[in-house]
Amino acid sequence: MVNHKPRLELRMRSYPTRASAERSALMEIEFSINAPGAKGEPSMAEMVWSTGDLQRALANLPPIVPPRVRREFQRLLQPWPQGRYVDAYRRSGGILNLFTPPWDERQDEVWSKLLTAWKTKTLGDETSRQSALAQLEQQWNNTPHPFFAGLTPAQVMVGGGPQEAKLAGEFLTHVERTLAKRAFEGEGDALIKTLLLLRGWQVDPQRNGQTPMRIILAERGELLVRRTHSLAAARS
Amino acid sequence: MKPKRKSRELSVPAGSGAYRQGVRQADEVIAQNDAEIRPDNWQQLVLDWFAPHEPDRSALAQYISTYRDQIGVAWAREVLRLQVFFEAQDYERIVEHYDRAFRSYPRCALIELWVAGYILRTRGDFWRVRQMYWNAAAELPSFAKPHYELGFVNYLLGDFPGALEQFDQAVVLVAADDAELGSRIFYNRGLVRMALQGDQEAARADVEEALRRRPDYAQAKEALRAMKGKARWVPW
Repeated sequence: MVNHKPRLELRMRSYPTRASAERSALMEIEFSINAPGAKGEPSMAEMVWSTGDLQRALANLPPIVPPRVRREFQRLLQPWPQGRYVDAYRRSGGILNLFTPPWDERQDEVWSKLLTAWKTKTLGDETSRQSALAQLEQQWNNTPHPFFAGLTPAQVMVGGGPQEAKLAGEFLTHVERTLAKRAFEGEGDALIKTLLLLRGWQVDPQRNGQTPMRIILAERGELLVRRTHSLAAARS
Repeated sequence: MKPKRKSRELSVPAGSGAYRQGVRQADEVIAQNDAEIRPDNWQQLVLDWFAPHEPDRSALAQYISTYRDQIGVAWAREVLRLQVFFEAQDYERIVEHYDRAFRSYPRCALIELWVAGYILRTRGDFWRVRQMYWNAAAELPSFAKPHYELGFVNYLLGDFPGALEQFDQAVVLVAADDAELGSRIFYNRGLVRMALQGDQEAARADVEEALRRRPDYAQAKEALRAMKGKARWVPW
């Protein structure tokens, strides 16, 4: 739930590419959706999962939020499909995917392989074929995807939580400090250097001995469990 | 042996006219090296200039033999110009020349293999580059470099299992006397083993192997020192 005292924060950040700067805005919205209220009230996402009332959740956004951003909130809070989570291609994927150049179904060799195998498989009737396809879609949804930096599409869909938001802020500050005065051969060179920092950082144990990657995966897993519980409670 | 060529720093400004100026300068370098491209010598010139050593030479000779009817003196001139840009390390010109001049010729896996890294560093076009390396891996099955590069791209994407798989293949294929590539393959495989499995022993063995192949490998020395100090060794 959004804090009832609207607060305007301005931050300057540098990004290696325009695409990553744009995705960072989306990532922040995803963090906001999963952020609990100041007194532990449910997050906007939880509110929608448990009540299905999208408008009530959106009503908590301060009036200053521009319509374009409001529409992004609305898109992200839509119910997930029964089948494949294709909207995962249009989510940020959080800090682990912030700098990955844009990609979509055309590059998705994992889904392409699954689909090719399904097409060539001899299955009895149309019902069996559709049932097999539905299984494949669930398999894709819940299997770590190489192009999502090891997150499953479901973990991408759910977005990042407060711990990831904090880690992302720390990493972005670290990148700025480290690369601020460096010269680059081009946009690609800046991207490579940023990604090298990211991949090193994500497996570097924090003070609690856990790596950022492990913390992020655990938190997203926890958010998925809460979503399942909220949806189940709403149905009962 | 690669012919000793008079080379010079190409100093061309950015912009569309700059490309033509760069090409003129490249032609001057080619002329200064007495490389007159004729119907009776274009194949030899291309092999001597672009691929003086094995296994590149055989791969390029194979390409020429396959596509002799579709390439010729004009194509050879473009290859020599490309080589001049390589020697000048003119990143922008390499990529621009490749995109402009080679579009109308059959795709050459060897040229793609050498140009792809520049596309990555200038444009950051991961998906295009990744496909170029896959093509090279398929068409040059005895080459270690495409697998090394794919491992690197997969690592940047955060696909650590995919990176390890490619580095493993590169280890098998790399020539014992290719100290430069061999050392980089082992160093990077060590990095991925550490990131993926936290396997410090295997990582250390790989870094030591990298240093055995290239004793002056500064990054490997630094990594080995860091490994002796604490678990983290990726210098970020």
